[in-house]
Amino acid sequence: MKLPDTSLSKLKLDAISFDTLLKRQNPFQSANRTFDLTGVQFIAPSALVQLAAACYCLGRDGRQTTILVDDEDVRTYLLRSGFVQVVQTVVRFQPHMSGMLTLTYDYIKGSNPLLIEVTKVQSGTELPDLLNRVVHVLRYRLRYKKNDAFDVAIAVSEICQNTFDHNTHASGFFAMQVYQKRFLEIGVADYGDGLATTLRRNPDNPQVASDREAIYQATQLGTSEFNDRTRGTGLYHLLEIAYKHQGSVNIRSGAAAMRFRMDKQQGWNFPVISMPGVQIALTLPTKVGA
Amino acid sequence: MTITPTDGTLKVMEKRFPLGEYGKQLWTREKAKEIRPQLQGMLQKLNAGETLVLDMRGVEVFDYSFANELFAKTLLTLPVDYPGRFLVVENLTTYTRENLEKTLESVGLAMIERKGKTLHLLGKLHPADQMTFDAVARAKEPVTAAELSSQLDVNLTAMNERLSKLARLGLVRREKGISPAGREQYLYAVLA
Repeated sequence: MKLPDTSLSKLKLDAISFDTLLKRQNPFQSANRTFDLTGVQFIAPSALVQLAAACYCLGRDGRQTTILVDDEDVRTYLLRSGFVQVVQTVVRFQPHMSGMLTLTYDYIKGSNPLLIEVTKVQSGTELPDLLNRVVHVLRYRLRYKKNDAFDVAIAVSEICQNTFDHNTHASGFFAMQVYQKRFLEIGVADYGDGLATTLRRNPDNPQVASDREAIYQATQLGTSEFNDRTRGTGLYHLLEIAYKHQGSVNIRSGAAAMRFRMDKQQGWNFPVISMPGVQIALTLPTKVGA
Repeated sequence: MTITPTDGTLKVMEKRFPLGEYGKQLWTREKAKEIRPQLQGMLQKLNAGETLVLDMRGVEVFDYSFANELFAKTLLTLPVDYPGRFLVVENLTTYTRENLEKTLESVGLAMIERKGKTLHLLGKLHPADQMTFDAVARAKEPVTAAELSSQLDVNLTAMNERLSKLARLGLVRREKGISPAGREQYLYAVLA
């Protein structure tokens, strides 16, 4: 079957190229609710969770989003990574994922290509188990030192808790993977209110004129939806942990994305196609063999 | 110097709150929200001058949200809701100490840590405040601002400011005493 739009051919879909996909296809602004992944050969965890959040967001009215994906390796990858199972109520794959293929999931689950498969987190009470899993996988599969594994889990915790602290009806999505043994990538995405709306709820916050400003302010100590001295530290500490481990953080909210790195702590900012919620990619050099 | 009768309470029993019983890995603000009322319940039962020791033995990690909800929120209410009571942390690992310190710094608070018989402060404090706290902690009896002022060679106004700040943070206890000349004055003490 010939699928349309092969402009993303040989594309690695990650936190940044996901925005290229949105720019070209933008199902948020179009009647055609389709993500065309034709030609895509690899999808990073950050893009997997962004895609899942986007499909759930679009599915709020009960309609399904179509994902066109032709490459058999990618189709199997989506299945093995847990993506298909997580989005099955809101997504229609084309060509159709055969019943037999999805039924084999239980058999191939052990060959999940991700360290932690795409996981839908529906409430804060599910987080401790997920965080204990993050620690366990890093300690016993990648042989991380205990405190390095704890640092990663703390970073994940601070990102994920925001989803449930600031939204009432949005789930979060999580995935973790290592690339070429060199980088650990963690993707967390939700389709909630986004940073600008959240920060504007607190009249004591400085005026938030744009999504870019909202991202920047949210990373500053003490800026929160709540008038509470003990709030507004999560993303600040996330960046601290990323810098401590020479990593980088990509934060996307609304129509802006910012990338932070130790040598560019004020961040690079990029205008992007607007999408509800907050999507974060944390990339850290691995400590494999450390 | 005459010391008021309540000074006797400065060296009385302390109670312990073993946080490790709630888990080795303490994640999320929600978890801390479950624990905090129990901690507050114990603080409520203390008399002025008594100490609650937060025993961290067995705790390997907590996230910043947990630390903010449990430690920072309790410390913020301590001087107001439980004046004169001390909250002391013990048995921190290098890792948990580092993260508790960062939590306290990020909200501008400080807390007493006890290692063996030594007391010191964790969190955001000027070295001068730390020096003042150390001097109060070293004193065998409650001391006045004048005594500390002379001991540390700092003028009395500055010393009063430092002591007020430490009292406001719940790090030293302030109570009224009577000077040898019969005048009312404040005495400062740290837990035994």
